[in-house]
Amino acid sequence: MEQEKKLTEQESLHLITMMINKAKESYHDTGIGAIMWGAVITICSLVRLSEVQFDYKLPFDIYLLTLVAIIPQILLSIREKKERKVKSYDDPYLDYIWLGFGICIFLLINIINNVFGEWGSWANEFKSITGKSASFRFSEYVAPLFLMLYGLPTFITGAACKFKPMLWGGIFCWICCIVAVYTSIKIDLLLTAASAILAWLIPGLIMEKEYRLYKKEQAQLNV
Amino acid sequence: MFKDLDPILHSQLRLAVMSLLISVKEAEFTFLKENTNATAGNLSVQIQKLKEVGYIEVIKQFKDNYPQTICKITSTGIKAFEEYVKNLQAYLTQK
Repeated sequence: MEQEKKLTEQESLHLITMMINKAKESYHDTGIGAIMWGAVITICSLVRLSEVQFDYKLPFDIYLLTLVAIIPQILLSIREKKERKVKSYDDPYLDYIWLGFGICIFLLINIINNVFGEWGSWANEFKSITGKSASFRFSEYVAPLFLMLYGLPTFITGAACKFKPMLWGGIFCWICCIVAVYTSIKIDLLLTAASAILAWLIPGLIMEKEYRLYKKEQAQLNV
Repeated sequence: MFKDLDPILHSQLRLAVMSLLISVKEAEFTFLKENTNATAGNLSVQIQKLKEVGYIEVIKQFKDNYPQTICKITSTGIKAFEEYVKNLQAYLTQK
């Protein structure tokens, strides 16, 4: 590009449009984080489903895998931030949204564990007095709470980044949230796995493909 | 009566740099170089001109022991760019 070339008004406008589009296209998430979380939640849900279906118990809670996944996520975020040559205005907001989502998930787990504790002792007392088991099962209503939370940051990210697979993924989480209120725990776990696949795993794979294409194009341009 | 187009912005490489920077919060020198296809020397000179008039802010720092130059558009730069686009549109509408 020549430094002092004077432009016509049409050329100027064309150049502005072209550069703004280039800047927009330059923002590519690697998608690895989304792939990892999509896979982790899918595995956790399906393993828990097999525990319920085949009546066995692993020596550890499979959902502890989500805690383990936090470590590579932190390392990934640091590496991606270092490699990024451009920062968008949305970056810090989306980071805070996902951080807030993570905090909400752990708060929800804490609330649910406390409710389970209270509910368990109440159900035992009920059985000792009436001789019948309580018909209400709190565990049937846990999945919709998580699905509601899964939908929020996914929907916002999809809308902010104009990335439709994630936007629809977020909406799918909310549809599953509504359905899971009326279904058994086995179906709830299947819906959770389906939500993780549609909201994170598939969009992550699409992002990763686009990122690889962008890198290839950049490499060809720089030859 | 048309206002004259800002001579600082009415130049190919400087306008390209400003158009890239208006869309992002900040960008590395290498990002600007890759997207404008300019040489490092040319780009440095034009960035210096934009910095002198206060349209952009240039931050020089080290990243993994390598020098890194980050460019950011300033509020003066945003105003100048908006004014430039407004004037440009006025010219084009008249034609």
